[in-house]
Amino acid sequence: MTGPSPGRLLARAASPAFRIAVTLLVALTGLAITPRAGGAGDVTDMLGRRVRVPARAARIVSLAPSITETVFVLGEGDRLVGVTDYCDYPPEATRKPRVGGISSPSFEAILTLRPDLVLATSESNYAEHVQRLASLGLAVYVIRPVDFETVLESIARIGAVLGREAAARERVASMRRDADAIVQALAGAPRRRVLYVVWPNPLIAPGRGTLISELIQRAGGESVTGAEPLPYPRLSLETVVERRPERIIVGRHGQGTVEDLLRGWERLGSVGAVREGRVYGVDGDLLHRPGPRMIEALRELARVIHPERVP
Amino acid sequence: MISRRRVGVTSAVIAGGLAVAGLLGLATGPAPIGPGDVAAALVGRARSDLAATVVLELRLPRVLLAALAGGGLAVAGAAFQALTRNPLADPAVLGVAGGAALGAVLGHLWGLEGSLAATVGVSAAAFAGALIASIAVYLIAASGGWLPVQTLLLAGVITGLFFSAVITLVVSLVDFAQLGGILHWLMGSLGIVGYRAIGVIAVGTAVGSAMVYTQARALNLLALGEESALQLGVEAERVKRIVFVAASLLTGVIVAQTGPIGFVGLIVPHGVRLALGADNRLLLPVAAGAGAAFLVLADALARLVVQPAELPVGVVTAFCGAPFFVYLLRTRLRRRTP
Amino acid sequence: MSLPAPPVFAARNVEFGYGGAFRLAAASFDVAEGEILGLVGPNSSGKTTLLRLLSKVHVPDRGEIRFRGTPIDAVGRRALAREVAVVPQEEQLAFSVSVEELVLMGRFPRGAGRLFESPEDLVRAREAMALVGVLDLGDQPVDALGGGERQRALLARALAQEPRVLLLDEPTSHLDLWHQRHLVGLLRQLNRDRGMTVVFVSHDLNLAGELADRLLLLSGGRLVRLDTPGEVLDEAVLEEAYGCPVWVERLSPSGRPFVIGVRL
Repeated sequence: MTGPSPGRLLARAASPAFRIAVTLLVALTGLAITPRAGGAGDVTDMLGRRVRVPARAARIVSLAPSITETVFVLGEGDRLVGVTDYCDYPPEATRKPRVGGISSPSFEAILTLRPDLVLATSESNYAEHVQRLASLGLAVYVIRPVDFETVLESIARIGAVLGREAAARERVASMRRDADAIVQALAGAPRRRVLYVVWPNPLIAPGRGTLISELIQRAGGESVTGAEPLPYPRLSLETVVERRPERIIVGRHGQGTVEDLLRGWERLGSVGAVREGRVYGVDGDLLHRPGPRMIEALRELARVIHPERVP
Repeated sequence: MISRRRVGVTSAVIAGGLAVAGLLGLATGPAPIGPGDVAAALVGRARSDLAATVVLELRLPRVLLAALAGGGLAVAGAAFQALTRNPLADPAVLGVAGGAALGAVLGHLWGLEGSLAATVGVSAAAFAGALIASIAVYLIAASGGWLPVQTLLLAGVITGLFFSAVITLVVSLVDFAQLGGILHWLMGSLGIVGYRAIGVIAVGTAVGSAMVYTQARALNLLALGEESALQLGVEAERVKRIVFVAASLLTGVIVAQTGPIGFVGLIVPHGVRLALGADNRLLLPVAAGAGAAFLVLADALARLVVQPAELPVGVVTAFCGAPFFVYLLRTRLRRRTP
Repeated sequence: MSLPAPPVFAARNVEFGYGGAFRLAAASFDVAEGEILGLVGPNSSGKTTLLRLLSKVHVPDRGEIRFRGTPIDAVGRRALAREVAVVPQEEQLAFSVSVEELVLMGRFPRGAGRLFESPEDLVRAREAMALVGVLDLGDQPVDALGGGERQRALLARALAQEPRVLLLDEPTSHLDLWHQRHLVGLLRQLNRDRGMTVVFVSHDLNLAGELADRLLLLSGGRLVRLDTPGEVLDEAVLEEAYGCPVWVERLSPSGRPFVIGVRL
């Protein structure tokens, strides 16, 4: 058989020219399948699934807190008829009927609410739940907020599906402005080494490709675990010592002071952050919900990493 | 003496009990659908779209799965107990459930969960795991054409422990984000199931149970000890092989779908044995029916207690099963001692 | 003139070992149709092993056993169980069964693969229980029985198989004097009236000598002597087999030997 050897083909695929071509192709395809304005008829969600969305969905079920926050921020909180047990922001959300947990929603509860649209996220909900709901005849639209850009895109997409593109566009633009302002304020500041603690014991930190690592980057920091191949690796405490973070940030969820959470870490005297007392807690809900409050999360991080630049 | 008639009559009674349990199961759930709506939906005259969907698409598959799983696990448990001459034997003890669990965990990890053939993909991996585990147990225990039962039990326990250790290893290394799904599966649940999967399980359960039942009389004789059974004309090795394969098939097919559900295989056969005696010709069908009813009710309870959330059904079986068993044991003991 | 019937069992150079430790060495003997043969010898001399070989629980490592002229490997287990019934010394029951259920298990070889017993099976089982004297214990769980009753229940099960050969392992070990006499009488009766071939293991030399037509003396896995009790129960023979001085008296007027015991 004639033709280049597999090795040659592989080498060619890795070449810059090839990669640019593929990226262009993907981008063009992406543009082609972007949902039309108005949210009526067949649309394609962020997982490439075709979804029949009603022209003006009046009974919406949200399967994640970030989605609930997005719907409220677009002014359409009234159209929500069901949220998860964990949807607590804004406060009005707590008055909505519950449909169960994020990983264990009750299908019966959802069906009883007779929704005409269900919003789910690839980051927290299970694929098999999405499939089951779809097979029961529900319109399930899935967003995919894996990084800064896709979080903004998710807000835009939800806006489109709800028929509120203008509000969404406005929101996204304002978020970009705020993000840029923060970046401006941080111009020229030295990058500080940051360890973000998702969970203290065992130590779980954000690795490559996570939103948190990216936010730390944008906030003028350098995530000491940002190069880890797994998204949320479990690391030994030695990592804390070895990587010499200048800031340690713990995502708190309600109870417990930072001292409680990081009990025992005061032993790590050789670590700059510990020695200088630069150990901070931030609101875990802010950091772990890829939604409209992402910019506040960014600001929190920037404030902790560069207090002199961001008041 | 056990007669065909007695088995038939008792089975009919149990079937009646199972039907009642089934209706209770179908009437339980957060949606406002009562027994009347359930009955209507079952005969095709649903009073609303919601009722039809909830009853036929959500609750009915679930109740069917609970019945099949409960019955199958009870039969497997009774079979393993007769095979190993040990009332503590249980599908979990013999390592088969552990193998299925590991298969499912690996299936989740390798993205089978996200694929379109999601449930089938993970179940296939779990069944493969169960198969590998039972083959391993058999190979460890068998030597020179013989399958010594004590060794079988030990081999099963060790294999089960080994697979548990591997699962723990995998769980410790796996990414945090995938942890939830895996732990959820390991708790055992009857959650989302389609009719195709139920069909597969029904066939597997029927075949496995039938295989075991053909050996029911021979299994009775095995309780005398292998030497006596051989001397009474039982081809002990053949019987053991058939029963082992059948019970492993039953366990594998069920655990592959539901995850590990404990106690049913241990407690139900025991309870039935204490009540009706050890003759497998009666024990097996009654245990199947009792196991089915037990799991259907346990699942209804699991869905009722923290509505609209659900408890893993394995938790309910443990909480209900253990005290009931203690009660059985003690009343029986009190009767026997003078 | 018709040919004599082949021996019930014919063993030739049979050797067997439990994975190296004990070895039954090159035993050759016949068990004649209708005879009562007693297997005697010191502990661990191979008596029970021999019984297991005759009932096909074990397969000889070397040599051959024939059952009524056919190599025993060629005889199906179920077929053999219709002819040969074993009364074990004791049984560890994994699950509780009633006496009647236990005896009914003896009908398995005649069940032709059926899952359930027939009314005839129940009749035969009850007959066997009556013969042995455990009919009124039918509903009792076997583990509630005393040692003697249990042994009789096991005999009833063996008889329910309708065998022509009975193999018994220490059948009188748990029986009181009365029941010992009763059992000996029953075995003699079965042998006389039904032509039952009986092979039994016993460490009671006198009982063995009284009941058996011939005694097979084993020692350390070797067949030492196969002869009438008169010849086997001899001081010199027994001393060599048991490894200690033995006192044997001859009873008058029959001249029957009586083993008094170890000569101190």
